[in-house]
Amino acid sequence: MRTADLIELLAHDVQATPPGGVSRKLAAALAAGALVTLAIVALWLRCQPLLAVAQQPWFWTKIIYTGLLTVAGAVLVRRLAVPAAKTGAAPAAAALVVLAMLALAAVEIFTAAPGERLALWLGHSWKICSPLILLLAIPIYAFLVAALRRLAPTRPARAGAAAGFAAGALAATLYGLHCPEQGAAFVVTWYTLGIAAATAFGAITGARLLRW
Amino acid sequence: MARVRMRPLARRERCDPPVLQQDQTEERLRPLMLRSLEGDSGAHRQLLGTLGSYLRGYFARRIGATAAEVEDLVQETLLAVHLKRDTYDRSLPFTPWAYALARYKLIDHFRRRSRSMQVPLEDAGALFAADDAEEGALRTDLDRLLQRLPDRQRSLIEDVKLQGLSVEEAARKRGVTAVSARVMLHRSLKWLNQALRDENG
Repeated sequence: MRTADLIELLAHDVQATPPGGVSRKLAAALAAGALVTLAIVALWLRCQPLLAVAQQPWFWTKIIYTGLLTVAGAVLVRRLAVPAAKTGAAPAAAALVVLAMLALAAVEIFTAAPGERLALWLGHSWKICSPLILLLAIPIYAFLVAALRRLAPTRPARAGAAAGFAAGALAATLYGLHCPEQGAAFVVTWYTLGIAAATAFGAITGARLLRW
Repeated sequence: MARVRMRPLARRERCDPPVLQQDQTEERLRPLMLRSLEGDSGAHRQLLGTLGSYLRGYFARRIGATAAEVEDLVQETLLAVHLKRDTYDRSLPFTPWAYALARYKLIDHFRRRSRSMQVPLEDAGALFAADDAEEGALRTDLDRLLQRLPDRQRSLIEDVKLQGLSVEEAARKRGVTAVSARVMLHRSLKWLNQALRDENG
């Protein structure tokens, strides 16, 4: 088939394309992945008594921390989903959020009695927290990758890392519905480590999966 | 694993004719893209035709003018421009979008051939430096790939391509609704895009 014939054929497949399709596809993927992960959290891990913990500031600190990272991740995925995208301020914003949480954790650790510091940092679940977040991120990541493959990420490893980061942060937010840990030092270490693992997982697999 | 020696960027740049017309290119192509997104098939045809010529020139300068893959890569990229056009943000310039997509296809092409080839990130002008309307030889014939499609889809494409029928006319002839014919055509093109990548991979 000559290229001119191909173009002729493609010209027959033209329909009005409403704007906003990219964001819609990605939002739908995030929502679908979040539902799967939420189901796993609710049915397998079990939620905390949410009405009671919703009165506690530490609960909201965690939700806001991972929630802000989720927003930064979603913005980054949106940008890297299309050609000629600028990364923008999202990575810097995410770094600032982590820095703020680190500051909060530092205050917490230094105001605690020296003997309690290690227990504060390790909590009861430091061994399982990061692996669980990575595991819970996988359904969200899978939906995001499926959406990105229908879009046009021109830097696959970066787009994969962004998808992993967004999936990890959203998974960590949902994991917060289960996890009863209260310390900022705990969260900024083990939650962030889980999100970082999801980011690395996304960078490695995205380089292969996000080709079109 | 075949390795291609990387040429320094400075020499490569000398291969590209100087860019004088890039603003004009943007002014010419962006309105076509906007109209194409509104469903104007004439604008779409004109856009892809112009882009095709630039892509041919760009890939020939990067792979080698005699390379047999140039025209295949032009077709693959045009299919991608067509199928991925909803990823163009209407508020932004068009030429950087087209350049980033073409560069991605070039990188993908090198990677599939396991060549370690760096494709430097340049200004969009690298794509629009010179056009070449002369079609080259193909290694993969899309008509041959189309033979693998189910009968209904293949005959629809043949009606449109060979007999020049509109999708509506072809649908009437085959006794399907215009909507399902359009869906069928679109699916066939998506399938063709995948088949072409697999074939060239």
